[in-house]
Amino acid sequence: MRVIIIGNGLGGAIAAKTLREIDPEVEIDIFAEEKYHYYPRPNLIEFVAGDLPMEKIFAYSEEWYDQQKIEIHLNQPIKKLIPDSQEIEIDGRKREKYDALLLAAGSFPFVPPFKGAEKQGVFTLRTLEDALDILEYQKNHNKVAVIGGGLLGLEIARALNLRGASIEVVEFYEQLLPRQLDIQGSSLLKTEIEKMGLKIHLGLATEEILGQDEMKGLKFKGGEKLEADMAIVAAGIKPEIKLGKEAGLETDRGLIVNDFLQSSDPKIFAAGDILQHRGKIYGIIPATFAQARLAASNILGDKKKYEGTVPWNTLKVAGLFLTSIGLINPEDENQEEIREEKREEGIYKKIILQAGVIIGALWVGTKNGVDHISRAISEKKNIEKWKDSILKDDFDFSLL
Amino acid sequence: MEKWECTACGYIYDPEKGDPENGINPGTSFEDLPENWVCPQCGVGKEFFQKMA
Repeated sequence: MRVIIIGNGLGGAIAAKTLREIDPEVEIDIFAEEKYHYYPRPNLIEFVAGDLPMEKIFAYSEEWYDQQKIEIHLNQPIKKLIPDSQEIEIDGRKREKYDALLLAAGSFPFVPPFKGAEKQGVFTLRTLEDALDILEYQKNHNKVAVIGGGLLGLEIARALNLRGASIEVVEFYEQLLPRQLDIQGSSLLKTEIEKMGLKIHLGLATEEILGQDEMKGLKFKGGEKLEADMAIVAAGIKPEIKLGKEAGLETDRGLIVNDFLQSSDPKIFAAGDILQHRGKIYGIIPATFAQARLAASNILGDKKKYEGTVPWNTLKVAGLFLTSIGLINPEDENQEEIREEKREEGIYKKIILQAGVIIGALWVGTKNGVDHISRAISEKKNIEKWKDSILKDDFDFSLL
Repeated sequence: MEKWECTACGYIYDPEKGDPENGINPGTSFEDLPENWVCPQCGVGKEFFQKMA
């Protein structure tokens, strides 16, 4: 049996590793568009920050691939999928046959349609190549605007700040981390980030990148302007569905898969940012990791259902820990929230309950109890009886 | 003591073994690893680990 994997990010690499763990004989070929071996993307932030040298960002050595008998083809973009004959076409020339195909091509940065996005000095960060380009340009351009106050935007802001750049973060919504935080948590986070010397602007919609060939600033809806000689756009991701769509696979915003992570062609599976499962696109590490493991198992005929992943994010900015798990803002009247804030200590905790069952939590400024809370959420635990004590400092989390 | 798995590379932290090459003695629980400890295999931080089922 031969399995071809398209994509060598987290999804592709973990799927290959898992396939080999389960089956010592299966042929595994990975085709990657990038010319570098697999590196975890969080390492790019540390690399940009100057905290991790380039040779240390990679997860597996070349020898590891040899030992595992995983054939890796770097710098080989795939032009076409031909599901009828179970083949892929590489660069318009060569064709390769598969028994099962795993699409793990990930996603690409979404750049909102503002004018001037093609100007010099406007970047996105997805690949090592992007990181190298950003660092090269930043040497001579030190006034950086980060468009997007989500997880990636804030991490890039922190990293470039460590490189000595002056940073202004511009967020479209009225709060930071709109997907992981509420207004109250955002206000705490904003204070901490501003203490580091970064500037944050909320509720601003970028309309145009100003400048001639090189960008010189941003213009916002309403006419306000911001001077900057470099911009990083971190406005979210889009699944890389082009290949699948052109081959006639069912797509929506992402490549649609069933609970066995199969596309509309049963020989083609998917894992990671590329896919849409039960209407959801995840774009987070724990989801991709689980999907890659399960896809490998399903490819080899050991059927296992993917039931979704509880969104789980952690962030460390300005030495402030932040964990966001599951639902963090109630969506209807059956859900209630309980909260506790100690503003002077920079601590804010909140829990969302539905009929006594814990379905989400926000932990800002502390990590105490976060593992227990996280487990309680994934086990859908009823915590009604601890409702009044759980957010107190002396709560014994081992009770959960 | 529970084992923890790195979701960026699949490395498994086993408290019984610790991570002696990086100064972590056998018997150190995952919770007791220093905040700046990183995955010895791929370099990501503790926050990318999950407890194994």
